[in-house]
Amino acid sequence: MADRTRIPGGLGRRDFLKASTAGVTLAALGGAPAWAAGTPWADRPASKVDKLNFVVWTYGDIYTKIAAKFQADWGIPVDSTISSFNDHPTKLMTMYAGGEAIDVSQSSPFSFPNFISQDLVEPLDDMPGAKEYLADLTESAKQVAVYNGKLMGLPYFSTVWVWNYYQDMLEKAKFEPFTSYDGFMEQCRKAKKDKLCEYPVAWVAGVGLEQLPGTWYQMTWNRGGVFFDKSGNHQLGDGSIARETLKWWMQTFKEDLADPESLKAQFTTSAKAFGAGKNLYRGPNHHYGLNIVNDPKQSPIAGKVKVHGSPGDGRTIGDSHVYFLCTASRDKEWAWKLLQYLGGKTKDGKYTQAENLARDAMLGSGYKSVMTSNVITEGWKPWGDPAKILEIWDKATYVGEVCNSIYKPWHFPWTDRLNIEVQKALTGQITADTCCDNLIAAIKEVQKG
Amino acid sequence: MVSVAAARPAAPGARIGGVAYRFGRELPPRVLGLVMNLPTMLTLALVLAYPIFYAAYLSFHKVSLAQLRRGIFPFVGLDNYHRILTDPLFLLALKNTFIFTAFSVTLEIVLAIAIALLIDQKHVWTGRITKFLILLPYAVPPIANGLIWSFLYNFDFGFLNRILFTLGLIHEPINWSGEPSTALLAVAVPYIWRTLPFAILLIHAALQGIDPAMYEAASVDGANALQRFRHITLPLLAPVIVVTLVLRTSFAFAVFDEVLAITQGGPGDATWVAAWYSYKKGFNPPFDIGVGSASAFVLALIVGALAIAYVKLIYRRIQ
Repeated sequence: MADRTRIPGGLGRRDFLKASTAGVTLAALGGAPAWAAGTPWADRPASKVDKLNFVVWTYGDIYTKIAAKFQADWGIPVDSTISSFNDHPTKLMTMYAGGEAIDVSQSSPFSFPNFISQDLVEPLDDMPGAKEYLADLTESAKQVAVYNGKLMGLPYFSTVWVWNYYQDMLEKAKFEPFTSYDGFMEQCRKAKKDKLCEYPVAWVAGVGLEQLPGTWYQMTWNRGGVFFDKSGNHQLGDGSIARETLKWWMQTFKEDLADPESLKAQFTTSAKAFGAGKNLYRGPNHHYGLNIVNDPKQSPIAGKVKVHGSPGDGRTIGDSHVYFLCTASRDKEWAWKLLQYLGGKTKDGKYTQAENLARDAMLGSGYKSVMTSNVITEGWKPWGDPAKILEIWDKATYVGEVCNSIYKPWHFPWTDRLNIEVQKALTGQITADTCCDNLIAAIKEVQKG
Repeated sequence: MVSVAAARPAAPGARIGGVAYRFGRELPPRVLGLVMNLPTMLTLALVLAYPIFYAAYLSFHKVSLAQLRRGIFPFVGLDNYHRILTDPLFLLALKNTFIFTAFSVTLEIVLAIAIALLIDQKHVWTGRITKFLILLPYAVPPIANGLIWSFLYNFDFGFLNRILFTLGLIHEPINWSGEPSTALLAVAVPYIWRTLPFAILLIHAALQGIDPAMYEAASVDGANALQRFRHITLPLLAPVIVVTLVLRTSFAFAVFDEVLAITQGGPGDATWVAAWYSYKKGFNPPFDIGVGSASAFVLALIVGALAIAYVKLIYRRIQ
């Protein structure tokens, strides 16, 4: 995002000082490993635990790897409870309410304020090394991890919303990637008329916290609108940019330009569906979807899907997800140690997990030092053009600026209503005006609690 | 040689077990009945009544994550009930649940009777294989069933559209689970597919209990197949049909897995049903378990009332 400062090598002053200290210690210890003492991520907590655990949502085998590394480094086994993204809050909640020990868990930016308000999250400011992490957080990660001035979590990953297009189809149509929304509609109409494809655009419009809502947020923000102003007043009234954006969006469904499967599409499923090569464009979505749609093992059109920025000044949205230390942990010091393995540094002082996520899954990091390192520029290459994505990254704003209800515990139930009302609008059951009016009315309802 | 004691008839109490024998007298039938039923009653109280009453208790309290952990629930009276009964989404979810239940249970009973009659034909040699195959859907886990059908329904690549298209029944693919007008049907069909074997089993078992002599006698009297069905089969099946109705209705009211796997309540609110509402309220942030319990309890009351109505209106009339 905008603060993605490009520092060659990515070694900060603090990192340099720490490394120097470690080097001196190494010399003094006569060959002992550099991480033996003096760094918060390398010190062994004084307390003892038999095991630790984390409760997370699934993502490949990253958790198996990091749990194995933790056990190898510290000799303590780590149990993992892994569910799907949408089921994660439920799983976490039932375990917490049932009195089970939970050392570390994770959250999307949309659930995090709610978790905090439910006393689920332990503040981290007093933990050893927390200040160093805080100093290295990107602005996006900071917006999520710092709540009411306190550091409440460490970054899992960061992403920005980008458009995709299918290059072969675009070339066949003799189009250039669109530069305006009117131009986009014209291209879609022509592609349909010429029978290049039945449905030129696939949207990520499935029910979710950031799927359907994210698409609307992104396109509204790109047009210069927001959902709530700085004072928390809604911006959904008559003539608002959000309302007009919704009208435009609905038009793509009315004219049968939008793939009907869009209304069920989540990020991963939409990437897989786009890989079938049946659509010209894929609406704004998380940048890392390219690691599916451009993966030859998963996509027949691998390598042919390109990233495209948004019209106008190209502004887009981004967000960060976090790991947090749970108040139900069995041992705070050890839980902090485990939390660092997931969202910070491992014993060797490296951002192992963040770097692996960049290399293996094309994810962005919530740490400036990782985002500016060649882990990103080299790690993302197999699936896309890192320079192009980073160019879009620099035009991204944290989604909370667009919809600052994210910081409120009532955002989650309001999003439920948003999903319902917008899907009704997109399927032609209600007008955009009714949809927005209903959402305005819903704000008061959900605020009542 | 047989002793006098051994030859003497046993005391009445000795026939009913050690306890009665020791006291030297037989327990009165009422007490005996109570004793015999006590283990079942206790088990049911533990696994059924306790959760129901606990849910009722929670529904009168403010219960969220923090309160659950601390075990302190502020009393809020009827506030949770007021909230759900004034929530248009809950009322819509109830309406959808009624439509879903009426459709799925009716179709299920009709199909179950028809299929049970078919597989009851002993002269049809494929009957045994059919009986086995019919049971298969019941073995499929509900969530897996939902996922399988969501693939079948896929607008672009689903087999359902392909088959219908090949047969010339449709000319354009239909977005079964994505169109508000067909979404509830798209949830109902997999649900019926999964639960139909249970109804078939019950009715088939009842069919086998009907004395063939009755059919023979009716045939001799000149009754045709329809008349035999109308005047013999259906009246004798009625008690088991009522039981099936009660069971299927109560299960259909709680439909959840297919909704979760196929539509997630969408598109819009087209497939929001009562159990989905309770789940969303109770198990998603802000984890309003009090409200979720209230909605679940309202659902339980409706199911209970329907069960009583079935028994009073149909079962007793038959008796």
